[in-house]
Amino acid sequence: MTASTEPTVRDLQQSRSALAGALGRLFLDLLETTRDLYRVFVLTLYYSVRGETNRPAFFRQMYEIGNRSLGFLSIVMGFIGMILVYQGGLQTQRVVPDLSLLGATFLQLLVRDLAASICALMLATRVGAGIAAEIGSMVVTEQVDALRMCATDPIDYLIRPRFLACLSMFAPLVVLAAGVAFLAGMWTAHAFFGINPRTFANVSLVSVGDLTIGLTKCVAYGAAIPVISGYCGLTAFGGSEGVGAATTRAVVNSSLAVIVLNFVISGAGYLVFG
Amino acid sequence: MSAETSSALSPAFAGLAQKANEWLSVIGGFGVLLAEILRRTFRRDFDRTEFLRNLYRMGIKSMPIVTVTALFTGGIMVIQAAPIVQRYGAYGLLGWGAGFGTLREIAPLLTALMINGRVGANNTAELGTMAVTEQVDALRALAIDPIGFLVAPRFLAIVTTLFLSTIFSDALALVGAAYAGLGFLGVEPAVFYRGLTTGLLGFGDVAHGLEKSVVFGVVIGLSSCHFGLSTKGGAPGVGRSVNSTVVASAAGIFVLDYLLSFALS
Amino acid sequence: MIRLEGVCKTFDRPVLSDVDLVVPESCLFGLIGPGASGKSLLLRMITGLMRPDRGKVTVAGNDVLAMGDMQLHEYRKGIGMLFQNNALFDFMTVAENIAFPLRRLFHLPESEIAERVAERLSRVDLPGFEGRLPAGLSGGQKKRVGVARATVTRAPIVLYDEPAAGLDPVTSQKIFDLLRAEQRAANATVVMVSSDLDRLLTVTDRVGMMLDGQLIFVGTTDEAKNAADPRVYQFVHGNVDGPL
Repeated sequence: MTASTEPTVRDLQQSRSALAGALGRLFLDLLETTRDLYRVFVLTLYYSVRGETNRPAFFRQMYEIGNRSLGFLSIVMGFIGMILVYQGGLQTQRVVPDLSLLGATFLQLLVRDLAASICALMLATRVGAGIAAEIGSMVVTEQVDALRMCATDPIDYLIRPRFLACLSMFAPLVVLAAGVAFLAGMWTAHAFFGINPRTFANVSLVSVGDLTIGLTKCVAYGAAIPVISGYCGLTAFGGSEGVGAATTRAVVNSSLAVIVLNFVISGAGYLVFG
Repeated sequence: MSAETSSALSPAFAGLAQKANEWLSVIGGFGVLLAEILRRTFRRDFDRTEFLRNLYRMGIKSMPIVTVTALFTGGIMVIQAAPIVQRYGAYGLLGWGAGFGTLREIAPLLTALMINGRVGANNTAELGTMAVTEQVDALRALAIDPIGFLVAPRFLAIVTTLFLSTIFSDALALVGAAYAGLGFLGVEPAVFYRGLTTGLLGFGDVAHGLEKSVVFGVVIGLSSCHFGLSTKGGAPGVGRSVNSTVVASAAGIFVLDYLLSFALS
Repeated sequence: MIRLEGVCKTFDRPVLSDVDLVVPESCLFGLIGPGASGKSLLLRMITGLMRPDRGKVTVAGNDVLAMGDMQLHEYRKGIGMLFQNNALFDFMTVAENIAFPLRRLFHLPESEIAERVAERLSRVDLPGFEGRLPAGLSGGQKKRVGVARATVTRAPIVLYDEPAAGLDPVTSQKIFDLLRAEQRAANATVVMVSSDLDRLLTVTDRVGMMLDGQLIFVGTTDEAKNAADPRVYQFVHGNVDGPL
C-alpha cells in the first residue's frame, strides 16, 4: 500500500458507484412518487363514482375554484389578449401588410391552445397552492389522522370534492377567459392597427379538430391540477415549514404537468388533425 | 360621510372598493419594501454571504424545471406554428416564426411563471416560517437588520436567478423547437437556425426579452419577500401567504408584460 | 386487551427498540418518559396509523398489522383517540366535530346524534357550545371538545395523547378527573400519555416508562413511585440529580 496522493482505481470506482447510487435513488424515488400519484388518481376516480355524495363540500369547492378565480383570470387573459394581438400584428406587419386574418388566426390559437393552457397555468398557481395549503395544514395539525380514525379516507373526503369541482368548473372558466381575451384582442386590433371588429371576429379558421383539442386539454388539466396538488398536500410533514414546502411542490408540479400535457396533447392533435 | 350616504352605497360597490383598497395597500407595501431594499443595495449594506448562498440554492433548485419547461415550450411553439407554416409552405421561415415569439415573449414569460412557482413560493415559505416562529423578531432583538440580512440578499438573488434562467431558457427553447421542427415537420435543424438569423430577428429581440426578465424578477422578489415577512397564523398562515404571493406575482407579471411590450418596442 | 410484542421502528435512527407491552382490560395505563422517547409513536402503532418495522400488535385478539383497509375501518369503531394538538376540524362547528365519528362510523339517526353531542358537551362542562368554531375557543375548551369527540362513540379502548398539555393546574386536574370518571363509567381500556406526572399518577392503575425507544419499566402506580430502577425513580419524582 503506497502512500500515493493520486486517486487509486478503487477511489474512482467508489465515486462512480456513489454517483450511480445517487442516480439510482433518484430514479427509485421518482418511480415511487409516480406510483403513489397514480394510486391517488385511481382512488379519486373510484370515490367519484362510488363514494357517498357530499354536496356541500362540492359546492363550496366550486365556489372556491370557480367564482374566486374569475377576477384573477379575467385580468390575466385580458392582458394576454392585448399583448398577443399587439405583438402578432407588429410581427405580421414586418412580413405581410395584410392584417385581415389576424382575428381569425388569433381565435384559432385561443381555442386550440392558449385559452386552456394559460388558464391552466394560472389555476395551477392559484388553485394548486390553495388546495395544497389547506390539505397540508390539515396534515401537520393531525386532522387527517383524525379523519382516518373515523374511517374516512382523506382521498374521498378532501380530494374528491376538489377534483369534481375543478373538472366541472374548468371548461366554463376557459370559455369565459377566452371570451375576455378575444374581446381585449379585438379592442387592441382596432386601437392600434385600425382593424374593423367585424373583420376581426372571424371564426372561419376554427375547425372541429381545434375544438376537440381544446376540450381535451380542459379535461386533462382540470383533472391533473387537483390530484397533483392534493397529493402534495397529503404528503406534507413537519409543521409550518412542511406546509410551505408542500404548497411550493404543488405549484411547481402542477405547472410542469400542464406544460408536459400541453406538449403531448398538442403533438397528438397535430398528428391526428393536422 | 353621513349615515344616509353610507347606507345608500350598494354592497357590491362597497365590496369592490374594499378589494381595490386591499390591492392598493399591497402595492404600497411593495413600494416601501423596494425603497428599503434599494437603499441598502446602493450602500452595499447587505449580507454578501447570504446573497451567494441563496443564489446557489435558487439556481440549483430551478435548473431542472427551467430545462424541462424551455424544451417543451420550444416544442409547443413549433406545433402551434406548424399548421400556418404548412399552409403557406414557409418551412424556411419556421426558425423565425418560432424564434420571434419565443425570445420576445414566451420564454421570459414562462420562465418567470415557473421561477415564481419554484423560487418565489419557496422563498415566501421560508420567510413565512421564520416569521411565525418569531425568528425575525429574534434578529431584531439581536440588532441585526432583517432587511439587510434576510430580504435584500434574497431579492437580489431572485432577480439574478431569473435573468440567468431566461438566457438559459432562450437557448434551450430554441433547441427544443429545432428538434420539434425536425420531428413534426421534417425541417432540418440547419434550416431552422438559418431561419433564426435571416435578419428579421435581431439581438434587439433577445434584449427585449431579457429586459422583461429583470422587471419580472423584481416583481417576484418583492412579492415573495413581502408576503413572507407579513405571514401570521402558524402553519395555515404560511400556506395562505404562499398562495397570495404566487397569485400576486403572476398578475403583476402579466400586467407589466403588457406595459413593457409598449414601452420597449 | 392490548398487546405489543417486539415492536421496532427506525427512521434515521431507531425510535422504538423491542417494545413488549401488555395493557390489561379495563385498566387506565399511563405512559411516561422524557421527550422523543417514542410514547406518541406507540399510540399510533395501536391505532394502526403507523406500522412497525418488526413485531406484533394484537388488540382484543385481533392482529392489527394483518388488517386491510376495510378491517381497519371496523377496528377503529372500537377506538377513541385524543390527539396531541386536538386535531379539531377547523372548518366544522363544535357539534359537527363531536358528531363526526358517530356519523362516519355508525350512521346513527340525527336525533340520537344531537342527543349524544349535547350529553357529551355537558359532561365536559361546555353546555351550549354546539355552534361555536374551534378557532374561537381557548386552549382548555379545545381540549375538552377533543375529549368529547374521543369519548362520544363509547369505544372500549380510548387513547389520550397529552390530554392536559399547556393547561393551567386547575383545568389539568379537572381533565384528568374527568377522564378517570369516563373510564370507570364505560369500563374502558385507556392508555394515556402525559408529561404531567404528578397529576397523571393520581388517576392511573398501571404505569409504563419509556426511555430512548425502550420500555424500561411496567408496573402498578405504587411500584412506579417506589421503583428500584434509579432512572425510573428519578423521573417519577422529578429529581434533578440522578442518572438521567
